[in-house]
Amino acid sequence: MKRFFRIAPLALAISASPAIAQSTDNTVAQMQQQLDSMQQQLNSVKDERVRFNGFFSTGFARASNEAGFDRITDESSVADLSLLALQGTFDVTEKSQAVMQLVGRGSEDWEPIIEWAYLSHRPTNNLQLRAGKMRLPFFMYSDSLEVGYSQPWARPPESVYGPVESTSYVGADATYTVNLENSALTLQAFTGFNDQDTRSASTEFRNLVGSTVSWTDYLWTVRAVAATTESTVEATRLALLAQSYGIQLPPGTTTIADGDRGNFYGLGFGYDDGTWQVISEVTRVEVDGRFADTDSAYISAGRRFGNVTPYAVVGWVESQDDDERTGAFIPGVPEAILNTRRDEYSVGVRWDITPGVALKADFTHARGFEEAPGGLNQTDVLEQGINSTNVYTLKLDSAF
Amino acid sequence: MKKYSLILLASMLVSPLALAEVVVIGHPGGPDSITTNQVRDIYLNRSQQLPDGQKVRPFELPEGAPARSEFHDKVTGRNDAQLKSFWSQQVFTGRGQPPQEQGNPGSMKASVASTPGSIGYLDASEVDDSVKVILTP
Repeated sequence: MKRFFRIAPLALAISASPAIAQSTDNTVAQMQQQLDSMQQQLNSVKDERVRFNGFFSTGFARASNEAGFDRITDESSVADLSLLALQGTFDVTEKSQAVMQLVGRGSEDWEPIIEWAYLSHRPTNNLQLRAGKMRLPFFMYSDSLEVGYSQPWARPPESVYGPVESTSYVGADATYTVNLENSALTLQAFTGFNDQDTRSASTEFRNLVGSTVSWTDYLWTVRAVAATTESTVEATRLALLAQSYGIQLPPGTTTIADGDRGNFYGLGFGYDDGTWQVISEVTRVEVDGRFADTDSAYISAGRRFGNVTPYAVVGWVESQDDDERTGAFIPGVPEAILNTRRDEYSVGVRWDITPGVALKADFTHARGFEEAPGGLNQTDVLEQGINSTNVYTLKLDSAF
Repeated sequence: MKKYSLILLASMLVSPLALAEVVVIGHPGGPDSITTNQVRDIYLNRSQQLPDGQKVRPFELPEGAPARSEFHDKVTGRNDAQLKSFWSQQVFTGRGQPPQEQGNPGSMKASVASTPGSIGYLDASEVDDSVKVILTP
């Protein structure tokens, strides 16, 4: 009996509390349902005809000297790494979209530039056709070149991403995806032209034709690209440099390619199992004329520890046609200043502060360029006999 | 004996969690079944279609939802960090938009129930007959 009285209140308490919880649960569930249907109505009103996305980067980089790796010297400022982009995606029909991306860069006084502007159409589930202004699909990260947030590093490896400064073209492409059992094969063909002022040259590509093939099983990725074009390259930075020394170059002196055949080949490889991320690219640039033909490669490895991903990169670039540049632009300025050779070593860390915001710290050491300073500040390297440079970068990347 | 019944009680309390299983759900007007590969292709932006040819509208639960991690663990094999970076790449290359996020399982169910061509996923215990279970990955 005593035992019963001891147990009864306990039993009551046990049986009663779920009952109360049950009715509260019911009320909450009903309210939840009502809220959900209201939310649903709201959703159907906006119904995603127009979407806006954006990305933002800012940061600071400083080099130990004037070598000018990625144009960073001991005087670089915050604005140089800052950019803000806004992208609008407009559904034209069920199968067609218009996409426009505006990018403003601190290094260009925030003057907005249209980087993407194209119409896309999907006639079938597997085929996508696009026409307009798009990114040159030369590299694995070409498409999201400036979207720092989508990249593991503070900057794409300069050895591979540096030699081709043109980043976009106007034309059309077709992408066909074959969904296999546990993998997907993507074939892309593109054609168009380019006319772009980059940081060291004014380039023009005519009759650009190329193709990419990529395969992924969601763990491994393999990509190949080949492209050919008639290229004209005006070395504008060289001309400016000569001017700053009071040298007036005769017309045509700085034209380092003039409608010459240019070929680009690239092989890419990626592995990402969620913990380890390994990326490697090997590229070759061949242009008739004085423009430097370069071979380059990098391999990068990173490991995720929760929100923190340390990485290390080793890169290399070397011009293969130094014997074609034996002359001089003008007396005292040998063509050999376009010869390129460099080894790059980076260690860095990416910290995902919150979803959509990542902070990156990077230390890059580049060396071996004292004889072939192409792509760097040649005069500083040669005059000061610089044979290595250290670059420290702190960068904040965001996508929204 | 009392000890055993306590163990039984404890296991009954625990089992709903242990047995939690994510299922792929679809709009009642959609196809009756779908394969894991087809679902993965949809959630990794490689396909815009349901097996019956309808344009698909996938829905996603927010990061941190247990059903979300289980779904991606079983179907796409990607974690939240990989998905975030993957979609930022897709969005800014104009290849597509991530599945629309629903704040909670109730909202996921309501959206799938009311959007033709939609698919989503829920813990099996959350499913009722307003939606159709089309795959248990």
